[in-house]
Order: sequence, then structure tokens, then C-alpha cells
Amino acid sequence: MRTDRLLIGLGKGLAVALLLVWSLVPIAFVVVSSFKPGRDIFAVPARYRFTPTLDHYGALWGRWWVFVEGLWNSTLVTAGATALAVAASTCAGYVYSRNAGRMLGASLLFLIVVRLIPPIVITLPLFPIINALQVNDTHLVLVVLYATFFVSLGTVLMRTFIDQIPRELDEAAQIDGAGRLAILRRVIVPLAAPGILAVAVFVVVFAWNEFLFAFIFTGTRTKTAPLVISEMIGSIDGVDWGILFAASTVQLAPVLIFVIVMNRYLVAGLTAGATKG
Amino acid sequence: MRTRRPIELLPLVAPVHILIIGVIVLPALHVAWLSLSQSSFGQAPSYVGLENYLRVLADPAFRRALWNTVAIVVVAVHAELLLGLMLALLFASGLPFRRLLLVCTLAPYAVSEVIAVVSWRYLFDPDAGPVTQLLAALGLPVLDWSFEPLHAMILVALLTIWLHLPFTFIILYAARLSIPVDLYEAARIDGARPLQAFRRVTLPLLGPAIVVALLFRYIFAFRIFSEVWLLTGGGPARTTEVVAVYLYREGFSFNAFGTAAATAWIMVLASLVLAAGYVALLRRQVNAHAH
Repeated sequence: MRTDRLLIGLGKGLAVALLLVWSLVPIAFVVVSSFKPGRDIFAVPARYRFTPTLDHYGALWGRWWVFVEGLWNSTLVTAGATALAVAASTCAGYVYSRNAGRMLGASLLFLIVVRLIPPIVITLPLFPIINALQVNDTHLVLVVLYATFFVSLGTVLMRTFIDQIPRELDEAAQIDGAGRLAILRRVIVPLAAPGILAVAVFVVVFAWNEFLFAFIFTGTRTKTAPLVISEMIGSIDGVDWGILFAASTVQLAPVLIFVIVMNRYLVAGLTAGATKG
Repeated sequence: MRTRRPIELLPLVAPVHILIIGVIVLPALHVAWLSLSQSSFGQAPSYVGLENYLRVLADPAFRRALWNTVAIVVVAVHAELLLGLMLALLFASGLPFRRLLLVCTLAPYAVSEVIAVVSWRYLFDPDAGPVTQLLAALGLPVLDWSFEPLHAMILVALLTIWLHLPFTFIILYAARLSIPVDLYEAARIDGARPLQAFRRVTLPLLGPAIVVALLFRYIFAFRIFSEVWLLTGGGPARTTEVVAVYLYREGFSFNAFGTAAATAWIMVLASLVLAAGYVALLRRQVNAHAH
């Protein structure tokens, strides 16, 4: 019986070790290599002891100013898309939570199904439309695109979270003479904060990391950080891996910390989003 | 606040619907129309019926792309399911530092496809990548992904699994946690061994979550673009293209809007067929929600 326990414990330990290697090694290599002297990055045999250096970060700052601009563009687009998606989803989620009806039910299914259309499909007609509206190469394009692909999930999540707020609170506020918007702002939003954070996590991670739309719809003025990094991979004949790792680390660090801090909301959001619609 | 006049609710639901209709529905319908016509830059589209679809379906490059996509979807999504299930059971069996391990498992969710490609390109660099060196040292075959299409596909599948395992795992783990402990207690009292408890209790009760995770991942894996584009660009000689990369090349490199649009609608239809299964599952919940 005791050896059984020991074996199970060993098996679990091994599984956890494999899990950690699988999940963390690809991230660790990017971060650690960004501090490696250039000659050590591709050393054969691989070199794990080295003198850390900030050279690549210096070179990134000095030679790739476009990356710094990319970070700024990413920040603007992420903030805008998150604000838009959260605001629109909260309003709609409130309606879907507190009201029922055939039309509403059908329109919610409509939102869910349309969201499943692959984003690349709409790039073809949007390209000329964006030019015609003269909004090409503006942050607005990415803000609207990113928000749109998350308002369906956002609405469903907000509905699920608002469902947990007792209706009696709405009714009490209504008796006190509050209008629908006042109830939404003073009663629902404060109590649905976990839902709002869950929606925000999804949009932030998506908008900060997205590649396809940024690749197709941005020009010189609004390139986002992932796009600049992708150009680093492709542009130089011999990729300067040190700078590439430094840029990757700078792009990755904030969103990784964000996900770690917000992990509860991410888990809650993933669970509610997939099972409730 | 209930209302008898639905019109009052309109301002609150309108923003979401305006975004969805304006950005997704109308452009998708426009694509449907484009797919039935022939056009390129500065050329008025003319109706050609299903010609674009026939041309796409007959194109060896498309068939190759479709085959690659289906292969990646089938391999990656099912591997994710298997690994996600094993992880869910591992976590449910009780682990020390559970929250910390959970956060580590979630970490790849935060990583952009671009950064993931940087990392995996480096790890599997055919000459000096750390993983290549490790495999060679162990006498195992290495991935020559920049020349061998099959090897490139394996690398793309690995990358896809790595990026999306957190999603599948969380869905399954949450479902596993929602199974009442009493059921396992009852199974144990009835003399069920752990494997029997898994087959008779865990697996049936995880069923809906497994189907949801699978459908979601089928739909999202089918649109794979960035990983392939950044890793191989579809090459050598279009052998590693996937459907989305084929669409991009037709539309944006060759300006063949008709065939690109037909490809797009093939993607839409494939997604909607899979979505139909998902909606059938959801309907019950939405109806149950209607108080």
C-alpha cells in the first residue's frame, strides 16, 4: 500500500515536471536569451552559463525606434478596444440578463454564431471600404475590429455575471426613482465588476497580441508591436536574434504579468464563456 | 427592470449589434456576392455563378492547403483534448501549489502567436536550436522544418497545441470540478475501482464539456494563419499553405478577389456547419435561461 502511494506520488511529480517544462521553457528561452551575449545565443553545444548583458535592449532602443512606436500603438489600440468592448457588452449583457423573449433569444444566438466567422473572411471587402472612408492607417480601424470580435463573448459573459446580481436590487433602485441607465451605472456595474474584468482580460490579451488584422490594415503610422516583431523575423537576411528576443520580451512581459495577476478572472471567463454561450 | 416596450431596450443592445452587423455580417455578405463574380483591382465585378468555387476546388494548391488545414486541426485539436483531459485529472487528483501550477499552465495563453513563432523557430532551429541539439544528442531524428513540408506541419501542430492547451484544459478542469464528490463516494462504496469510476462517472459527466471544447477548437483551429505565415510563409513551393494563407495569397498577392472570396465562403460554411452543432447544444441552455 505504501509503495503504491510512493509510485503515484512519483508519477504525479514527473507529470508536473513535464508540464512545467512544456509550458515555461519556450517562454524562458525568449526571456533568458534576450540577456545573452550575441555569440552565446547559437552556441553549440548550447550555453546555459553566460554573463548577462543589456546590449540587445540598447540596440533595440537605438536601432528599432519603430518598435517603441509599435508599443505605443499597441497600447492605444488595446485601451480603445477594451473600453469599447466592455462598454458595449455591459449594456447589452444587462438587457439580455433582465429581459426574455423570442426576439432577444434569437438575437443572442445570432451574436454567438456570427462571432464564429473567421476574421480573415472580412478583410477582403473591408480593405476598399476603409480606404473609401479615409480611415486607413488609423488606430480607429483596429479598435473597432478588435472590439467587434469580442462583443459577442463579452455580452454572454456579462449576462452570466449580471444574472447573479439579485433583481431585488434593481427593483429597489427603481422604486427610488432611478432610471435604467442610473441602475446600470450605480447598481449593476459595481456588482458586475468581476464580469467586466473577465471581459477586459480577453480583449486586452487579444488586442495586445493580434497579428492578422494588424498585418493587413496597418501602415507606417499604426504598426503594432507584434507586427514590428514579425518584420524583424522577416526583414533582415540574418535575423538579429538578440534584438528579436529583447523586443519579444518587452512585448510579452506586460501581458504575461497581466494574465498572472488576473488568472482568476480569466478562468471564470473561459468557463462561463464556453459553457453558457 | 422588465419592460413592456422592447423599443426602450434598443439603445442598450444597439452598439453590440451595430458592430457585429457592420463589421462582420455585411462584409461577409459582400464576400458572398464577390465569390459569385469575377473582379480585380479597378475592374467592375461581373456575375459568373459558381465558377470561382469550381476553380478553387480544382486548384491543386487549394487542395493541398485544405488537406494541410484538416490535418493540423485533427492532429492538434485531438492532442489538445487528450493532454487537456490528462491535465484536468491530474489537477483534480490534488496537487500541492495548485494555484501556482495552474498559473504556469495558463502562461502560454498570454503569448502572442508572433512571440511563440520566435521562440519555437529558435528552439527548433535546424542548425543550432537547443531542442535540435538535445534531440541530436539523444540520437533522435530532428525536425528539418525549413525544407521538409511534413516536418514544418509537425512544428505548426506543436505550436498550435502549445498556444491553445490552456483553453482546452480550463474548460475540462472546470467541468471536472463541477462533478459532485458524492458520486465518487457512491462509486467507491459500490466497489468501483478508480478506472471504473473514471469510465462510469467522470467521462459521461465530462461529455458536454468535451464536445464544447472540441467544437470551439475545430472552429478556431480551422482559421489558422499567423503560425504558418510566420513560420514558413506557406513554402517551400506552397507545400505548407493552409486555407487562410491560400485565401490571403489569392486576395492580396494575386488580386484574384473572386477565388479569394470563394475560399472565404468555404471557410464560413465550414465554420457554420461546426457552429450548428454548438448552437444545438446551447439552445437548451438559452431556453432554460428564459425564465
